[in-house]
Amino acid sequence: MTRTDPRVPGPCVPGVPPPPSQPPPPSAAERLHRALLRTYPAAFRAEYGEEMERFVRDRVGEARYGTGWIARARLCAHVLLDAARTAPREHGRALVSRVRGTPGTDDVPPGDHTRGDVMDMLLQDARFALRTLARRPVFATVAIATLALGIGATTAIFSVVNALLLRPLLLPEPDRVLMVWDATAAAPRGQVSYPDWLEWRAGARSFEALAIMRGQSVNLTGGDEPERLAGSFVSADFWPVLRAAPALGRGFSRAETELPTAEPVAVVSDGLWRRRFGGDPALLGRSLTLNGRAFTVVGIMPATAPLFGATDVWLPIPYYPNANGFDRGQGSMTVMGRLRAGATSARASAELGAIARREAERYPATNAGHGIMVEPLHETLVGDLRPVLLILLGAVALVLLIACANVANLQLAHAAARRREISVRAALGAGRARLVRQLLTESLILSALGGALGAALAHVAARALAGIVPLDTASFAPIAVDARVLGFAAAVSLLTGTLFGLVPAVHGSRADLGASLKRGTHRFVPGLGRVSARDVFVVAQVALSIVLLVGAGLLTRSLIRLRGADPGFDPRGVLTMEFRLPATKYADDARVADFFTRALAAIRAVPGVRGAALVRAVPLSGNAENLPYIVEGRPAARDAADAPAVHRNIVSPGYFRTMAIPLVAGRDFTDADGPTAPGVVVVNAELARREWPGQPAVGKRIRLGDGDAPWLTVVGVVGNAKHYALSDAPFTQGYIPYRQKPLIFTSIVVRAAGNPLALAGAVRGAIWQVDRDQPVWRVRTMEEVLAGSVEQQRVTTRLLGAFAALALLLAGVGVYGVMSYAVAQRAHEVGLRMALGAKRGQVLALVVRRGMALAAVAIVIGLATALAATGALASQLFGVSRLDPVTFGAVPAVLAV
Amino acid sequence: MRKKPVPPPPSTSPPPRPTHAEPAPFPLTPAVLHILLALVDGERHGYAIAQEVEALTDGRTRMGPGTLYGTLGRMMGAGLIEETSPRRKAGREEDSRRRYYQLAGLGRVRLASETERLARVVAVARAKNLIRGPEPA
Repeated sequence: MTRTDPRVPGPCVPGVPPPPSQPPPPSAAERLHRALLRTYPAAFRAEYGEEMERFVRDRVGEARYGTGWIARARLCAHVLLDAARTAPREHGRALVSRVRGTPGTDDVPPGDHTRGDVMDMLLQDARFALRTLARRPVFATVAIATLALGIGATTAIFSVVNALLLRPLLLPEPDRVLMVWDATAAAPRGQVSYPDWLEWRAGARSFEALAIMRGQSVNLTGGDEPERLAGSFVSADFWPVLRAAPALGRGFSRAETELPTAEPVAVVSDGLWRRRFGGDPALLGRSLTLNGRAFTVVGIMPATAPLFGATDVWLPIPYYPNANGFDRGQGSMTVMGRLRAGATSARASAELGAIARREAERYPATNAGHGIMVEPLHETLVGDLRPVLLILLGAVALVLLIACANVANLQLAHAAARRREISVRAALGAGRARLVRQLLTESLILSALGGALGAALAHVAARALAGIVPLDTASFAPIAVDARVLGFAAAVSLLTGTLFGLVPAVHGSRADLGASLKRGTHRFVPGLGRVSARDVFVVAQVALSIVLLVGAGLLTRSLIRLRGADPGFDPRGVLTMEFRLPATKYADDARVADFFTRALAAIRAVPGVRGAALVRAVPLSGNAENLPYIVEGRPAARDAADAPAVHRNIVSPGYFRTMAIPLVAGRDFTDADGPTAPGVVVVNAELARREWPGQPAVGKRIRLGDGDAPWLTVVGVVGNAKHYALSDAPFTQGYIPYRQKPLIFTSIVVRAAGNPLALAGAVRGAIWQVDRDQPVWRVRTMEEVLAGSVEQQRVTTRLLGAFAALALLLAGVGVYGVMSYAVAQRAHEVGLRMALGAKRGQVLALVVRRGMALAAVAIVIGLATALAATGALASQLFGVSRLDPVTFGAVPAVLAV
Repeated sequence: MRKKPVPPPPSTSPPPRPTHAEPAPFPLTPAVLHILLALVDGERHGYAIAQEVEALTDGRTRMGPGTLYGTLGRMMGAGLIEETSPRRKAGREEDSRRRYYQLAGLGRVRLASETERLARVVAVARAKNLIRGPEPA
């Protein structure tokens, strides 16, 4: 503000006196002062404005003898400070004199408003509105609280939407980071194989860097206690893609992460460095024993590493411990790239698509039918949460609308009560616009106060929401009430203020002067026949609540169905835990199998254990493996992508009994199903039904994998078990015995006689009896695993339920208020009727009938809207139609009560 | 502004203790006191008052336009000063449009009593060796 432009020619140029006859052009300080004058009350300005301008001009003349622009800048600062100190003081005095009733300095004759007085008029309106509200504390409190709830809830949800959907990821130029998936007709987001990535990287010009990576836990040993770390196996391109670099040391070089030349190097996270190594920089260059092999630490990431904030350690991709993870056709990794400047996602997609087509021609056995799909990283990270967030945002918007309708109704009632006052003011010459503005100012003040309180509520709520968002939020802008969210809250407040203020304002200012004045008080209210604005608001509120209730009802029913769904096994009393053997220590299958056999024996010996078994992937834990399969005697599919797929799991004998998966036909695996015995497989009922309907499946043979896989004889059929989600439809499953396919990475399921968690320590101890160096993690009961799999649905349902309850509460308060007001207005009429002999019941019926009529209209409109709106919910429902008659029937019933 | 009841001038010092019935006397803040002092020699316009105050205080008190005219307005309301009949000054056209202020009777009385009171305060402070410096002439 204290800008004084030395380039401005004029009186400030030394040595050039202004022409004497012409007044000099105003200096910066004068212009500043003239602008600041507008902040004083109009009357003060009228009284002293001219004098003050002259005063400043004199001062400028004086300052001109000072030292150039410094003196002028000092004068500007002086003028500014003076105005800042005295303008509010003059406003305060003007206000005090007004309130005391003495004619204040700001009494400006009506109709004498210049543009500069707008500020004054608004202030006057605001002061008047505040006084009016202060005289009706109950009304003001209810209105502000209602608005605060509506605006607060909306702002809180918006803070999540803002952080997750609107704000860019916490990466340099995040728009240029893409995920590249291996796409087939069945699975558009398939994982990528290492050889495919090599060809993509060699051929694609659109990318500055194209990285491959695979997350998997890593065993850290050699310290006091074995520890499981969150590992990420990456290529050297990983850091250029993210434009991130280790804070200390370096990332990987190309040579270190290519298959033939790989070096055992590691980059550790800031968290691991501080937690396990005390933040000692000497860790650089030291070696860590990871998965039984020594890795040299070459880098330490900064504390705020973008993306994969949960990762503890990065290792070169060639050390990914999965024997066939590097074969063509074994997609098990993800690919992420950074576009070159100027390159587009479409061009990258076309380029990679062409490469994929060439590969499909060259390697039809593995690549036929495989294309690519590119997707912004942001998209991938947000995933399924986007529709959920938008549904919630829609829901809170409805709550806000209800709050608006509520306050609008209160305002209408308020305005009706003030009809006389308004008529008087109109008679005294206040124009319609002036009255509307006055009433609107009241609404805006209410909404501003409600908005401020709502923002405070949102601040608290946003923290709570940040805790329950089922996402790794490290890559996203923090969920908080920031400037943009505050701006949103302000905009919402302004909008709601206008929304709920305009109708009552226009309504209330309607100039039926004569009638209102003559009547004195407004006693006659239109009967049932006329529909007032209040009725419309009541109907709208109830209808909107119905929409929310139906939505919440549908989600709740869906969640109940989901939790009640039969997973195909009995989760009660089952404990699960994961662990993995270091590949170096257990170099061959025999050793791995031997460890497992001894560990299982030790666990089964623990008192309270009724059964224990190994399983590659615990149901609903997120791990899974899919393979194509071939049935003996049928022609193999021409395209690899067209082959039917089976979900494969590797289990030990006793798995089905431990999990209580029913054996439908044949037998379970036994210890005799070893590496030298004939290959066997147990299939689920769905696979048997699909491939051999009406025939016994036992004795048939299938291959799991491509044409080179060995034939396996079906020895048993078990029930279908859910694996990906409780909402799974039955799909084909095949189990093979662990001794014929030992894996170093596995889980243990234990059925306990009592509380399964009480056994956790003893079971872990049993494993450590066999090998002290085994970290055991993710110790959870199967019931926890199940609950975790519906966590997101649970959170969504709870939130929507809370919004619906809030809506119902607001609508209830609103309806009660309006009805009681209507009854109070008709007290005269009721008294008359009773005096004329009407029975109590008749009068009651009169009131109730009107309420019922409104409710009926609201229910019809609400249900119709809900029918249309629940389309948005369809993707979130399980086992419940979006037109579920139970929900649609129950909601009006709830409302009727 | 000028309709405010004017408190009766105090007859003697110390000034009368305010009772609940009558409004408290207009407080003599440093700015008010300085303006009163600046007007002792005769009428002045606003800018001249500010310059005089600056001179009286060795440049330590520099008033901004808002402070000056806000204070002048309130002092007039309290009857301490008054505006001289406007446009009576001849001379430069510029000066003839200015508004001039002079001490009102009440202002003169209150200035006298306040400065006397201050003089006694200063004398006591000096007797207690709180301040040093030349004795007033």
